[in-house]
Amino acid sequence: MTSLKRSLESDSDSTNNFSSKVYVRSTKSGKVQKIVREVYLRQDIPCSSKLCSRCRNTAPANAAGVVNPFVLSDKPAGTKEYPHGHYLVPDTNALLNAMDLFEQSTAFYDVIILQTVLEELRNRSLPLYNRLIGLTKSEDKRFYVFFNEFRLETYVTREEGESINDRNDRAVRRAVQWYNSHLAQTKSKKLPTVVMLTDDRGNIEKAQAEKTPATRLRDYVSGLENGERLLDMIAESQEKGISRDKKAADFLYPEHFSLSKMMTGVKNGMLHQGIFNVSPYNYLEGSIKVPAFPKALLVLGRDNINRAVDGDVVVVEVLPKDQWKEPSTKIIEEEAVTKNENADGDEGEDLVTEKERRALQEEVKKTHSTSTEGRAQPTAKVVGVIKRNWRQYVGHVDQSSVSQSAKQGRKQESVFLVPMDKKIPKIRIRTRQAGELLGKRILVTIDSWDRDSRHPIGHFIRSLGELETKAAETEALLLEYDVQYRPFPKTVLDCLPKEGHDWKVPASTDDPGWRGREDLRPLLICSIDPVGCQDIDDALHARPLPNGNFEVGVHIADVSHFVKPSNAMDHEASIRGTTVYLVDKRIDMLPMLLGTDLCSLKPYVERYAFSTLWEVNANADIVNVRFTKSVIKSREAFSYEQAQLRIDDASQQDELTQGMRTLLMLSKKLKQKRMDAGALSLSSPEVKVQMESETSDPIDVKTKELLDTNSLVEEFMLLANISVADKIYQSFPQTAILRRHGAPPKTNFDELSNQLKIKRGLELRCDSSRALADSLDACTDPKEPFFNTLIRIMATRCMMSAEYFCAGTQAYPEFRHYGLASEIYTHFTSPIRRYADLVAHRQLAAAIDYEPMHPAVRSRGKLEAVCKNINVRHRNAQLAGRASIAYYVGQALKGRVADEEGFVMKIFSNGFVVLVPRFGIESVIRLRDLAEPEPESTFDAENYVLKTSGSRELSVELFQKVVVRISDAKDEATGKRGAKMELVKVIG
Amino acid sequence: MPLDTSTYNLALLRVDGRRWNELRQQKGQLGVQPSADGSAYLEMGNTKIQCIISGPNERDLSKSTSSASTAPTSNGAGATVAVSIMIAPFATVDRKRRGRNDKRLQEMQTTIASGLAATVQGQSYGPRSTIHISLNVLSQDGSLLACLINAASLALVDAGVPMTDYLVACTAGSTSSYAAADEEADPLLDLNTQEEQELPFLTLATLGATDKVVAMVCESRVQLTRLEGMMATAADGCKGVRDFLDGVVRDKGELMVQEGAIGRGEVVSSMDLD
Repeated sequence: MTSLKRSLESDSDSTNNFSSKVYVRSTKSGKVQKIVREVYLRQDIPCSSKLCSRCRNTAPANAAGVVNPFVLSDKPAGTKEYPHGHYLVPDTNALLNAMDLFEQSTAFYDVIILQTVLEELRNRSLPLYNRLIGLTKSEDKRFYVFFNEFRLETYVTREEGESINDRNDRAVRRAVQWYNSHLAQTKSKKLPTVVMLTDDRGNIEKAQAEKTPATRLRDYVSGLENGERLLDMIAESQEKGISRDKKAADFLYPEHFSLSKMMTGVKNGMLHQGIFNVSPYNYLEGSIKVPAFPKALLVLGRDNINRAVDGDVVVVEVLPKDQWKEPSTKIIEEEAVTKNENADGDEGEDLVTEKERRALQEEVKKTHSTSTEGRAQPTAKVVGVIKRNWRQYVGHVDQSSVSQSAKQGRKQESVFLVPMDKKIPKIRIRTRQAGELLGKRILVTIDSWDRDSRHPIGHFIRSLGELETKAAETEALLLEYDVQYRPFPKTVLDCLPKEGHDWKVPASTDDPGWRGREDLRPLLICSIDPVGCQDIDDALHARPLPNGNFEVGVHIADVSHFVKPSNAMDHEASIRGTTVYLVDKRIDMLPMLLGTDLCSLKPYVERYAFSTLWEVNANADIVNVRFTKSVIKSREAFSYEQAQLRIDDASQQDELTQGMRTLLMLSKKLKQKRMDAGALSLSSPEVKVQMESETSDPIDVKTKELLDTNSLVEEFMLLANISVADKIYQSFPQTAILRRHGAPPKTNFDELSNQLKIKRGLELRCDSSRALADSLDACTDPKEPFFNTLIRIMATRCMMSAEYFCAGTQAYPEFRHYGLASEIYTHFTSPIRRYADLVAHRQLAAAIDYEPMHPAVRSRGKLEAVCKNINVRHRNAQLAGRASIAYYVGQALKGRVADEEGFVMKIFSNGFVVLVPRFGIESVIRLRDLAEPEPESTFDAENYVLKTSGSRELSVELFQKVVVRISDAKDEATGKRGAKMELVKVIG
Repeated sequence: MPLDTSTYNLALLRVDGRRWNELRQQKGQLGVQPSADGSAYLEMGNTKIQCIISGPNERDLSKSTSSASTAPTSNGAGATVAVSIMIAPFATVDRKRRGRNDKRLQEMQTTIASGLAATVQGQSYGPRSTIHISLNVLSQDGSLLACLINAASLALVDAGVPMTDYLVACTAGSTSSYAAADEEADPLLDLNTQEEQELPFLTLATLGATDKVVAMVCESRVQLTRLEGMMATAADGCKGVRDFLDGVVRDKGELMVQEGAIGRGEVVSSMDLD
């Protein structure tokens, strides 16, 4: 009789080229799973060295019979130690600590990445893994992934009692040995050495015992030509691995919980998870929004913040109720408090320095003295970090942390980097070039933040240039907001039409380009844009119809004709997400050729367009709407001012002007309807920087003027977006790309409505957008026209931000756009500068059966990823634009002193924030800036009044009008040049 | 956690170290359950199936109301094929029991039953008889349907049920997902669980080494342009599976001759097919 068992045993001898991998993993829900995977071991995995002819003969082909080209050079670069050239085999730690090094263009060529290392890296850090995959795809870096775990000779089984790390190290060594013996068989005269690159001391020792070539990362780098410079880029943390003999008593911070402990805690409601945000006014105060509490949880003090950095996903524990507090009413800046800290001497310090303690103490006193029963917010402490959101930070070296001797010598020392972003703590970096880095904008990254270190530890990546130079500041800004500003790669440019600027709409209507297009060339179409606009997305027309109605058309550049889904250009555009407008620079989403020429609806030439055509009656009610791809010829490109002049000029009676007047008339009606439906008119202090035309130096700042024609264009764009949103949602209820603006939670307005009630006796209602719009309209001060705008600016800051989403992810009522008071909304009208619009174009084209739906636009998972990315990019682009304006306002004010009116928009116990509408800037005025010595003060938190006495007697309250003297000054904390305000007098 | 299928293009190696056109390791055995009319055990990689045949029996109406799916052979003039699948709770990574009325299982049962009904020469039994095929999944690691069909074929041979040829099946996938719209995607043969979860795939059953397609199941989205390549690859895989099953049967025959269960002369006259 045969049994199952016997049959398996008898087969076991044939499995020498077969193995299985067994591992255990635990799922999110805490279950333990045992996974068994097969591993097929083989001998046809090539070494990919151009020296080796044997491997070339056996190299595998893909289904099309194409063999991957061999990567590693036959004449690799040599160093002092390896004169015949060398291939590098980094281990996982080397990549984890020094990925920036591997991306250098001066060194690190011919690198073999082992599968073992790739897998380990993927487990440890997905972003690094992705960067590495990117490197392996670049042709000139010559990175080769060798699947050592599948090659019979290099496969290593884990021995009993061997840790997984030891096993992996052994696998790396085995692969290095194999490579060396394999290459030796090529009988090449100049035989390159295959070198293991590691920082693990144990691993090096074992390698030496086995006579495997190995070197430490640091030794290797210092042997390179420009080693000095590269040395700084090695992460700090690994140094420590060698001398970790600190006692537990030295730990400054409480330990983080283990992941499973946090998971269980979050699950049973004991702990809460959320994103950690630092207050822009007080670096020792953070807040976390969690679903369980209506108000954000406060995290106060270094101890409770426990090494969380702005943006991290953290888990917090709520503190007992008697420790709940109000949010701080005090400005605490890291720079001022920790000014004299020594970057090198970390030992023997308490976690919370005396100064910090005093700063916080006053807080506590205040909360205990006043009866703030209802207003106390729950406080919490961070017990662990789920996911660090560390990125690269731009900043400058704190001058005071650099020792005098370092300015000449090459001694390595620790210095503090002060990030531009005030929410990020100081970062300690070790460098040999401290002297050179002073006064430069530099880019760094955080490596770790251990319990025994007060500040996070990072390393230097590169220098952007002198502080306050235009190039350095612009690049700093782009990096800080993660804007992709590199030139378009060749693969992207290859996707452009061959004809270049000579491309024209084909003359013959039989051309495939004309398929399904309507010929709208006879229509009198024009475009209205800001002065000097080159990427013209939209053009309009209106004409009366015989039945007394009007035909109105919005024509949008047909970008989807040129950017086909899933090619390199589309991919690049989807990553960039949006065009970023800085004061002096535009970072395009699409290559110039398309953005400013072929797609741009320039006047007097024929262009492809995607048209939305409505029939509307005289009341601006839509009778019907249709969409079509078309060919148009714009008659004129107006600026807003020109258009306004032309409309106002009664002597102009031609058809084009009449059409524009019709548009204006209809747009006013549309606007009225929107306002009646409860659309909000929000405000932000927008200013425009005027530049000298030749040197492009800023000379003046103007507030933006709004003309009727601005609102004309805006109304029709909104109308087009809404019509398109309707259409694509009908056709694709699951995948349509839409834009929503959530209703803000009521608690967001608590502070503002309380302030209004106490200071002005006004009521702010926010149960619906209509109520809010009406009560905002009522917030006026007859003496002060700007008061209303001020309230609108403050209300805008309480709002949620609008976001793109995929229709299937939300229920229909959630589609609402709160600000525009529209049921459904999308972006359709600016495909040249926004990726979302491009997607909407493709979906609309499919909805009107112009072309079949491309799978990439149909896959919901993919679209969700796109939405997520463009939401982030959109926000960053806005922030970058604002930061750029702020920088140029600072530059324009350089060397000038001006007295301007301003308004108090936020008040603290030791200072207040003033907004100056003329320049659109806001700045903090601290008590200690008022007079010397710092005046005594009493702060009435209930009534938002700050009274000073002693050296200067003043009484400042919220919403008050003040006169400030603005001069320019370099902010030592951030290295930014900005406006510095001094209080001249208080009005009223 | 090992790498995922996106690394295929780095070295043309799949997640388990195979090339695009390689089958997994297979093991097969006939007559594993001597008390049954026919039985077989088949492994394709870590997918392990035991199949037991009972019948042809006279149709028992009370039995046929169970969850088995049935299909008549020879246009209703022959025996009925009834297939029931049981997945052991320990067959998957997560230990779980499956109900008898699992719709996915029923669909697989129907596919197998109608596929086999087209292959089995049922007219020799008469319309009132039923061949019960019961399939036990002991371990599951991708290509389940294909493996079930192959195991059933093997067990039917053991039971001595006349068939036109082996009914063999195999899966084929494509190296990039539907949404990637990558024109250079390679077809892949014989997918395991991880690949099935990440990539589009189809199951193709052919009649022996011919290219006659008996069944094809594709539940994932795949570009039409890639389908042809996937089908051709799967058909090639089916040939490989057929050769393997045939080898198992011949080895078993040899063994029976050695053990004296059958006389050598009989074998030569009836099994001398090559």
